[in-house]
Amino acid sequence: MSLLEAKGIKKIYKTRNGGVPVEALKHVDLTVEKGEFVAIMGESGSGKTTLLNILAALDRPTEGTVVLDGMDLGAVKNAAVARFRRDNLGYVFQEFNLLDTFSLGDNICLPLVLAGKKPKEMKKRLDALAQPLGIADLLKKYPFEVSGGQKQRAAVARALITQPRIILADEPTGALDSRSSDELLALFGQVNRAGQTILMVTHSTRAASRASRVLFLRDGTVIHQIRRDGRTDQEMYQRISDALTLLANGGDRK
Amino acid sequence: MRNPLRKRLLRDLAGDAGKYIVIFVLMVLSIGLISGFLVAANSMIYAYDEGFEKYNVEDGHFITAKKMNTAQALAVEDLGVRVGEEFYIEVETDESNTLRIYPVRESVNLLCLMDGRLPENGSEIVIDRMHADNNKLKIGDTITSGSRSWTVTGFVAFPDYSCLFSNNSDSMFDAIRFGVGAVTEEGFSALDQDERAFCYTWQYLESPESDEEADRMSKDFLPALMEEVSVREYLPRYQNKAITFTRDDFGNDRTMMMVLLYIIIVIMAFVMTVIVTSTITKEAKVIGTLRASGYTKGELLLHYVSMPMIITVISAVIGNIMGYTFFKDFAASMYYNSYSLPTFVTLWNARAFILTTVVPLVIMAVITVTILARKLQISPLRFLRGETSRRKNRRTLRLSRKIPFFSRFRMRVILQNLGNYAVILVGFFFADFLLAFGMLLPVILNSFQEKILDEMIAKYQYILTVPMEMTESEHKLEGLISGVMFMRGVETDNPDAEEFSVYSLRTTDASYITEDIMLYGVKDDSRYFRADIGKEDVFISSAYAEKFRIGPGDTVTLKEAYEDETYTFEVTGIYDYSGGLAVFMDQATLNRIMDMDADFFCGYFSDTPITDIDGKYIGTVLDQEALTKISRQLDHSFGDMMFIFEIFAVIIFFVLTYLMSKVILEKNAHSISMTKIMGYRNGELSRLYILPTTIMVLLINLICLPLVDAALARVWRYYICQRMTGWMPYIRDIPSYIKMYLLAIVTYMVITGIQYLRIRRIPMDQALKNVE
Repeated sequence: MSLLEAKGIKKIYKTRNGGVPVEALKHVDLTVEKGEFVAIMGESGSGKTTLLNILAALDRPTEGTVVLDGMDLGAVKNAAVARFRRDNLGYVFQEFNLLDTFSLGDNICLPLVLAGKKPKEMKKRLDALAQPLGIADLLKKYPFEVSGGQKQRAAVARALITQPRIILADEPTGALDSRSSDELLALFGQVNRAGQTILMVTHSTRAASRASRVLFLRDGTVIHQIRRDGRTDQEMYQRISDALTLLANGGDRK
Repeated sequence: MRNPLRKRLLRDLAGDAGKYIVIFVLMVLSIGLISGFLVAANSMIYAYDEGFEKYNVEDGHFITAKKMNTAQALAVEDLGVRVGEEFYIEVETDESNTLRIYPVRESVNLLCLMDGRLPENGSEIVIDRMHADNNKLKIGDTITSGSRSWTVTGFVAFPDYSCLFSNNSDSMFDAIRFGVGAVTEEGFSALDQDERAFCYTWQYLESPESDEEADRMSKDFLPALMEEVSVREYLPRYQNKAITFTRDDFGNDRTMMMVLLYIIIVIMAFVMTVIVTSTITKEAKVIGTLRASGYTKGELLLHYVSMPMIITVISAVIGNIMGYTFFKDFAASMYYNSYSLPTFVTLWNARAFILTTVVPLVIMAVITVTILARKLQISPLRFLRGETSRRKNRRTLRLSRKIPFFSRFRMRVILQNLGNYAVILVGFFFADFLLAFGMLLPVILNSFQEKILDEMIAKYQYILTVPMEMTESEHKLEGLISGVMFMRGVETDNPDAEEFSVYSLRTTDASYITEDIMLYGVKDDSRYFRADIGKEDVFISSAYAEKFRIGPGDTVTLKEAYEDETYTFEVTGIYDYSGGLAVFMDQATLNRIMDMDADFFCGYFSDTPITDIDGKYIGTVLDQEALTKISRQLDHSFGDMMFIFEIFAVIIFFVLTYLMSKVILEKNAHSISMTKIMGYRNGELSRLYILPTTIMVLLINLICLPLVDAALARVWRYYICQRMTGWMPYIRDIPSYIKMYLLAIVTYMVITGIQYLRIRRIPMDQALKNVE
């Protein structure tokens, strides 16, 4: 059974004063298997972030269902959604959203602090993450003392520390230079290989080429997908580029 | 690794130190002050209660016309009481104070020596500590009365005069003009023995358990006592204001203090909320991230509420420490200013601790949690986008383009900060209220004093003491004799003297405290009474009318003080008289109603002193001094308190305007920085960002004053009706209000200076750095 399964997702934004409704998602079907690294690509306004928000239960679809690990998100009561997110989801954003007055270590532990975990437990989990993420030396530093890439790694650590079933990343490389982007993607690859399921929204071909599967979104529907099927990153990059060129030229392959 | 949130709290504290220190100081001061008051009051009440046993306080006293002989004394003791002699003589000192002198007590109502030593020979005296304070007497000073003089050797507290009421029917005590003292037996016998008041204390062999029991016992005792001796005054302890007033008053003060504290805490809670809200706005995206990672509103709320709570806890702890040390002494000295209390030992007071610690914490928690919970209600998605306004579609109010640009800009600043101005409004209202109370009380007292003097019926009202036998039908012969004696004793040749009769009844309206109402019967051709009063007319004094809201056509029902008999009168007019609650009618009519002979009288109105009547028949003299006693004493007792109120008011003005204008500037720091980049100068910026707040502060204060006036008038009326006998009208004194307005403005000017400096310090690169 799939870890995440979205069926017939439709999202219509209505403006308050009776303006024209905007159909952000027309009809999206999507499944993510356990241990997969899925990238969703699309241009600005294609509905990527809307889809991600719905999958994260941050927003509710107008129509359709989302089932995560057998749980129907639509059936989860509002009061229980937070609990659900805490136990199942980790987030990485384009902006790192770290607290300025906290050291990186403290920022990473913040979710555990709120969960009321013991300091000892926090330290254990932090140490386990810091080494592989390459931020062991940075834990005492403050966000303004480190680079964007380092901040983003801390943000990834913050998402991972609660041991979520799935990591949702919204343009994680959007604010990074190319080197930092590569490092971050390498990191994503690394945690993915360790069994972590990742769903990433991006419009960077380079970022998407690390994924095991790439979905293309346009005008609120999935119009194409590419599976890795044993391809190297380079080959993936090529295929994605080709697909994008084709799509840009008006192709409508499914 | 320790919980990083703790570090964060510390850092927050350091980062916003200015704001938190101000709040902290205000809370420590108010909690400290109130805790000090509660602790002092509680310890003093304890000492006072304990004093009944420690100083062997009487269960009551009575005054007889003549000294009791041995047989009478034995007969009285047979009624189940221990009787003790406590004769006194009143002397008028050269400073025209009345000093009631007793021999040093040895068994009942023992003196508490507070300073110095007891008298050792006939020319030495100890006097009441408070009377001494009020008259600036020191140990070693000499008190003279005519040819006599005494050296003060010590200050004492009389347990039966914790409040210096010279007469139990007075509505206020007078610790300035009236005092008590004690001399040796030798010193006492050197005084004019004809002036002795034959006062006897009694103590039941079995002490009453409650006031109700005391009431029953004293009602049984009185008739039995009157069988044996002729009683001129009878006063059981529970009715003796000199003993009971103090304890009642402690309770009233406590209520006032608690209200003061809680209002300050409420205002501070709102201020805290504003500060924390601005932090939440700053941290919106992180909150969004955490919420998206599954953290609940509750968990975040707990975190954001902890700062206000921690500050409240620390304030409460330090405030209580100060309460038990510094403020306790301060409060005690204020109580010692009003009451003659024995020395006390500071006691741990659990109730005070709860009232000054737990309750403020609860108030703080309820307000911050309620408001911040609403704030955190916003969906995680909107937090992530940095939208922290609760309204989804924040539509800007359209302002006409005809309004000049700068005005429109200022209006935007005002609209954006309406919440902060609301907090200022609430705070100002309270501060103005305190200030008004502090400033108006002296005005009210003065005007009351003037009014009383204007409306006096005569410069002197002599109320005579009618011998009990005269009104007792069982002692016909005795009554007749004493009646004749009385008539002869009170004859006067003073041509100004005019007879009147007077009777005292009590009110029955349960919604007010019970009051003694004086019923005057005046002659129909009276020189002093300024209105024509017909046979059937019943006039009430303006004080009575205002307090009980009675007008012509209404009926009043009054009753005998210790009996059930009631009288009902229909009011036909109101007489301008602020000196007391009184009913006026024709003398013959009153005498008829009260079952007296048609020509009976028991008082004189006179514009000159009457000197030729027997002193023992003069019960009370109502002259200028007596009538203004209440305002004098209130001024003395509340003087310090008014000062505290004014100080607190100014501190609140200062704190509120400082914190709120600071928050407003911080909110706008980004735009200020931006406008700087565009080339605006500091002066222009302050016109944009400080002037709107200035306008609002001026406006808010203007709105507050009439509200405060209305509120104060109500509170005043409530206080006087529920807590005090007598009536003193509230005065809307415009000059005081103008002064208050100016005071608030001056405070604000100081703040504006600080804010101007702050605007200058906002760097230009702030707008460039923080792009997010």
